[in-house]
Amino acid sequence: MLQAHSIFWHYLWVAPNLLLLILAVILWKRGTARQFPAFATFAFLGSVGQVCVYASDMLPSVTPDAYWRIVWGDLILEVILKFALIAEIFGLLFGSYAVVARLGKLLIRGVGVALILAAAVAAAYAPRIELVAIINGANLFDQTIFLVESGVLGFIFLFSFYFRLSWPRQLFGIALGLSISACVHLATWALISNAGLPYFSRLISVFLNMAIYHLCVLIWFYYLLVPKKDAVKPVVSVPEHDLEVWNRELERLIHQ
Amino acid sequence: MTLAIVIIIAAAVCLAVILRLAVSRSLQVSADGKIAGRIQPIDVEAFRNLANPTEDEYLRRSLPAAEFRNVKRKRLRAISAYVQVAGRNATVLVQIGQAALLSSDPRAVEAARQLVEQALLLRRNAAFVLIRIQIALLWPNHGLLVSGVLPGYERLSGCALLLSRLQNPAAPVRISAM
Repeated sequence: MLQAHSIFWHYLWVAPNLLLLILAVILWKRGTARQFPAFATFAFLGSVGQVCVYASDMLPSVTPDAYWRIVWGDLILEVILKFALIAEIFGLLFGSYAVVARLGKLLIRGVGVALILAAAVAAAYAPRIELVAIINGANLFDQTIFLVESGVLGFIFLFSFYFRLSWPRQLFGIALGLSISACVHLATWALISNAGLPYFSRLISVFLNMAIYHLCVLIWFYYLLVPKKDAVKPVVSVPEHDLEVWNRELERLIHQ
Repeated sequence: MTLAIVIIIAAAVCLAVILRLAVSRSLQVSADGKIAGRIQPIDVEAFRNLANPTEDEYLRRSLPAAEFRNVKRKRLRAISAYVQVAGRNATVLVQIGQAALLSSDPRAVEAARQLVEQALLLRRNAAFVLIRIQIALLWPNHGLLVSGVLPGYERLSGCALLLSRLQNPAAPVRISAM
């Protein structure tokens, strides 16, 4: 079962991408795509890109060199889509609060630059595991993308937690799925690119990546399509004893 | 292999932090009703006295340099405690304000929006002041400005009172001067 080109392997490569494509179509039909244009584009183009890579892997007419060029093309597309999506998450979460947005933009730029430098250092010190440069490059590029992506997403979560900003449900689902996928992929690509794993362990890492991505697609399905339970949210008012304390303090301030 | 281990540990820590925050978010949603109880009252007058630069100047003139530094450090630690409480109260008010944004009363929504803005501003300023306090603890002779926190806290109190009045008009509000 855990072999390349087994039924499980085909399923894990194709199914999440088809599901994501279906999700994109549903989002466009429901009009939710207007709310999350970058996510809808990511879902559509990202899954189409992966289906193209899968098809080029299956077609005997595609040479190994052409296959790796297609992989590179897909990776570059993925980078653009993912960082547009992260910008969308940041904008939707902090955009309505000018004070936090300004500080957040400043900090996220700093974090981004630091992560890119760290990723460049990691890539420079990585051993040449593969004999073919184009494969080595693709592995290291994957590691670089996921390092920056998981770091930036981690920052967004921490920053929103510091200010206790509540996440809209759908946006939270998108960010959660993207973060889980980025962190797990970072760990597996770091192993693949740096540890010189034997064939079977490497295959397990690839299976783990595909399974986690499948899980993340299901998380996006759940948060974007399953409606929130209609629990009546209690109106939280300031408790009376605190009100009295505040009144007292204000009275004192006013009469100073 | 060492590089791989370092990156894997970093990825695991990042994932753990994100999942922890995700869980705390769900807990936060379910505990919305109890959130207001987390507000800790602050003696604004005592805070004002501690942060008063005139008092600092008086102490500097009256005390020997070594003793002044000692007293100043104690005062800075006390200010730090006040600022931390003010910052924590601000986060509680952010959550209360965000919950009130769903209100059907447009006046309550506007008051809630202002409350959230002021609370975020105070939280941000509190973080900056805490950094400045840490620096001032190293150089106590250098003046410390806590501008932003005290006026911010006062504005925040005003916003919270307004929102409380709108949400619960029957509550006795005892500001005779207003």
